Amino acid sequence: MALKDVVEDIEGYREIATEIQVLRKYGSDHKSSRGEVAQIISQLHPPKIVLKLSEIIQETSSTRTFRLMGKDVGLPPFQAGQYLNLFVDIHGIRTSRPYSISSPPTHTGYYDVTVRRVEDGFVSSYLLDELKVGDELESTSPSGNFYYNALFHGADLVFLAGGSGVTPFMSMIREVAERGLTSRRIHLLYGSRNEADVIFQEELSAIAAHHRNISWMPVISNPSKNYAGATGLLTADRIAEAVGDVTSKTFYICGPEVMYDFCRRELVKLGVQKTKIRVEAYGPPREVTKQPGWPAEIRADDLFTVGLRSGKIIRAKASEPLMVSLEKNGIVIPASCRSGECSLCRTKMLSGKVFHPEGVRLRKSDSQFGYIHPCMAYPLTDLEILL
Amino acid sequence: MPVYDAVVIGAGNGGLTAALTLAKAGRRILLLERHNVPGGCATSFVRGRFEFEVALHQLSGLGSVDRPGPLRVLLSEMGVIDKLAFVEMENLYRVSYPGVLDITLKAEREAAIGTLQQQFPAERDAIARFFELVYEFSLQLVQGIFFRDPHISKEKYPLYFKYAFRNAQEVLDEYFDDPLLKVVLGVYWGYVGVPPSRLPFGDLAVILWAYIEFKPYHLKGGSQALSNALLDTFLQMGGEARFNCAVRKIIVENGAVKGVVTEDGERVDTRYVMSNASTIQTYIDLIDAAEVPDSQFEYFKSKTIGPSAFTVYLGFDCEPSEIGIRESSNFILTTTDMNRAFGLWKTLEPQEWALFTCYDVSDPEFSPPGACQAALVSLQYAEPWYRVPPHQYAETKYRYADAMLKMAETIFPNLRHHIEEAEVATPLTHLRYLGHPGGAIYGFDQYAKDSPYFRMDKSPIKGLYHAGAWVAGGGFQPTLTSGRSTARSMLKSMNNK
Repeated sequence: MALKDVVEDIEGYREIATEIQVLRKYGSDHKSSRGEVAQIISQLHPPKIVLKLSEIIQETSSTRTFRLMGKDVGLPPFQAGQYLNLFVDIHGIRTSRPYSISSPPTHTGYYDVTVRRVEDGFVSSYLLDELKVGDELESTSPSGNFYYNALFHGADLVFLAGGSGVTPFMSMIREVAERGLTSRRIHLLYGSRNEADVIFQEELSAIAAHHRNISWMPVISNPSKNYAGATGLLTADRIAEAVGDVTSKTFYICGPEVMYDFCRRELVKLGVQKTKIRVEAYGPPREVTKQPGWPAEIRADDLFTVGLRSGKIIRAKASEPLMVSLEKNGIVIPASCRSGECSLCRTKMLSGKVFHPEGVRLRKSDSQFGYIHPCMAYPLTDLEILL
Repeated sequence: MPVYDAVVIGAGNGGLTAALTLAKAGRRILLLERHNVPGGCATSFVRGRFEFEVALHQLSGLGSVDRPGPLRVLLSEMGVIDKLAFVEMENLYRVSYPGVLDITLKAEREAAIGTLQQQFPAERDAIARFFELVYEFSLQLVQGIFFRDPHISKEKYPLYFKYAFRNAQEVLDEYFDDPLLKVVLGVYWGYVGVPPSRLPFGDLAVILWAYIEFKPYHLKGGSQALSNALLDTFLQMGGEARFNCAVRKIIVENGAVKGVVTEDGERVDTRYVMSNASTIQTYIDLIDAAEVPDSQFEYFKSKTIGPSAFTVYLGFDCEPSEIGIRESSNFILTTTDMNRAFGLWKTLEPQEWALFTCYDVSDPEFSPPGACQAALVSLQYAEPWYRVPPHQYAETKYRYADAMLKMAETIFPNLRHHIEEAEVATPLTHLRYLGHPGGAIYGFDQYAKDSPYFRMDKSPIKGLYHAGAWVAGGGFQPTLTSGRSTARSMLKSMNNK
C-alpha cells in the first residue's frame, strides 16, 4: 500500500488538502524568480569578471598601479586585503597571478592593483611592459582570507610589510582613514630595500599626519649614505620600538617569502602568540627543493610524465608547480590563490606522488582519497591525474 | 545511442547516492558538479590549521554495527561503510536558557526521562507518558509505513493516524504545563526549520525516537569524508565526474529529456537526467519554459522556499574544556516563545535560538592537537539579506555574527579570547555554493502540507528525475536515501525499455 492511499485517513488530512488547493491557485508563482539566483551570485561573487584598464599610475621606477574598471557591469564588493587572480595570455600561454587590491573597498568603481617588477617575473613583466589603457583582462572576483575580521582581531593592528607586500595593507589603511574608523589603531612597519623603492610614501605620510589612529614607519635595508630614517630589517627591537606592548595586538605579515619566517621568529621573541599572527598566502616557494620535506634524491630539473584522461601525456618539471606545467601545455584549470589554500584547482591524482610544500591546505579526506592542489603540487614521480 | 545512460546534475548527498546506485547497476553515468568539490552541504573548508565542518551536526539513522539503522544499511549497500569511521555522540543535546535552565539529555530513553523528571518533578507522569507516545507512534509508523504493512488501517495503527499531522505544540501543550519543559522536548524543531506550532508532531516524534534508538553520530573527517567516499566508489564503478562544470540547460524535446548543455557549451546527449539541483531551478532556469507543463508551476505555488542558515565557524586555540564546552550539541535559547524565535529568522535582529556544536567533544581528533572548533548556527531566511546593499554586506555579516557570539558568550564567557580562526556564512554564502533559491538548506519549507504524503513525486518530463532535499526533505539521512530510491525508479524505467 502506498503512502498516498492511507493519507486520507490521517486526522487533519482534509484541512491540509484544502490548504494545498488554495495555494496552488493563489500561492506566489516561482516563475517570477527566473534567473534570480544567478543574478544574486553575480552581484556578490561572479565566478569571472572582465576588467578594463582605465589608468596606469607610475608609483616608483619599478612599480605601477593599474586601475581596473568593470567592462560592462559594476564590480563586486571586497574586503580590504583581498586579491584578484588576473588571467593573461602571454606568447600563447594562458596563466594567472593573484594580486592584492590596493584601493579601498569604499571606492566602488574600480580596483587598483599595484605591481612591482620582479626578476624573471613572467606575468609582472608582461603587465608592466605590455599593458595599455583600454586593454581588457579577465579576473576572478575578489577572494582571499587576509582581511580584518572584527570578530576576533581586536582594535590594535600591526602590519608588517615587505616591498610590494604593502598593497593589501594600503587597502586596509585607506579604508580605515576614509571611513574614519578611529576605534581601529594601525601601525605599519614597511620594509624596503632603498628609499626609492617605498611605494605610497607620500600618501602614507599624509594619512598618518591626519589620522591619530594610523602610524607608519619605513624601514630601509640598504639605505643611501645620508638616510636619517629607520634602517635594517623588521627585527624584534624595531617592532617593539614602534608598537610598544604586544599583548592584545594582532599582527599581519605580507611580503617576500624570506620575510615570513624571519618576522615570525622576531614576533615570537617578543612573546607574541602564534595565533595572533595572520599571514598572507605568498605563492609557490622560490626554491622548492630547499623546502623542509623535499626528497633529497629528486633534483630540480628532473622531468616526469603526467597522464591525462584524454590519453595525452605531458612533461612536468619537479621544481615547477604542476599547474604551471599544465598551462605551458595549453591546459588551463580553474585557479584563484595559486598558493595551495583556496582549493579551486583541487584535482584527483590516480597514481604517482607529489610534494605539497608547507602552507598547502588540503582537507583530511582529500588527502585520504588522493586529491592534490596542482597550483602548489610538485611531481616527484610520473603521475596520472583525473583531468 | 547516447554515450551516457544518464547525466546526474549535482554532487550533493542525493546526487552522489543516485549516481552511485546507477553506476553500480552497470549504467554509464556522467556526474556534473558546478563546485570544485563534491558534497553540496556535506562539505568542509580549510582556514589556518582548521578544517571546518559545514553542515553536519548529528547524523541520524545510523545505528551500531550490531543494530544497524537504515542509514548504515544504505551506506553498506553503497560500498562506502568501510571507507568511513563514525563517532557516536553520547548525548542528544544540552538546552541552555542562561540564568533559567540548563539541562542535558542522554541519548537513552530511561536516562533522558530520569533527567527530565528530576528537573520537572511536577510533570513526572506526563514526561513518562509523552515518551510512551513518542515511542508508540514511531513504532506504528515504522511498521505501518516504513515496512509497508499491506493491512494498514486506522484500527491497527491508531496513534499513527491520530498524530501524524497534529502540530507538535498542541501535543506538547496537552501533555505539559511548564513552558521550559515544552521547549526542551521540542528543541529539535530547528533541525526541520519549522516552529513547533507548525511542525507535524509525527516529525518531532520520529526525530526524537530515531536519535535515541540509533544514536546521534558524527564522522571522522566530517561530512566531506562521506562525500569523498561516495564519489570514490562511484569512480571505481566506472562513473565519470566533472567538477567546476555547471549545467546550463537540460534539453527537452516533445516532453522528453534529450541531453544537457554544460556551461562551456558542450552538449551531452542522454535520455535520463537526475537533477540534484533545486527543483525550482531545474524547471525555471534549466528547461525551456515551453516544455514545462503548467501543472508543475501550479504545484510549486503551494510551496515556499525554506530557511537557509547563518553560521559562525569558530576555531579555538584550546581544548573544549578550557572554554567550558562539555557537550557536542548545545541549544541556546533566550525565550520560550518559539514562534518569536522563528519569526526572527526573517530579520537581521539578534536571534533567540541558536545551536552551538563542538565536534571535538565526541571526537578529540577532529581539530589539531590542543585546538577545537565549533559551528554556531542560527537559521535564517534569505529575504533580509537580499535587501542588504552589496557594499554593506561584509559589515552586516560581522554585526550579525557578533550578536551570535554574544549569545554564545552567555554560556561560554571566555570564548572570544580563544578564537584563532573565524569564518562567517550567511544565506547568500549558501546560495552561492549550493545555487539554491534562498540559499535554502532543507529545500522547501517543511510544513505538514510539504510532507511526502502530498508530494508530486513524478516529473511531467519523461526521463527527468529528482534527488535531494527539494523532493525528499532536508537533512543527511533523507537526502542520501532519496538518491538511492529515485535512482531505482530510473533504473526500472530504463529496464522496461
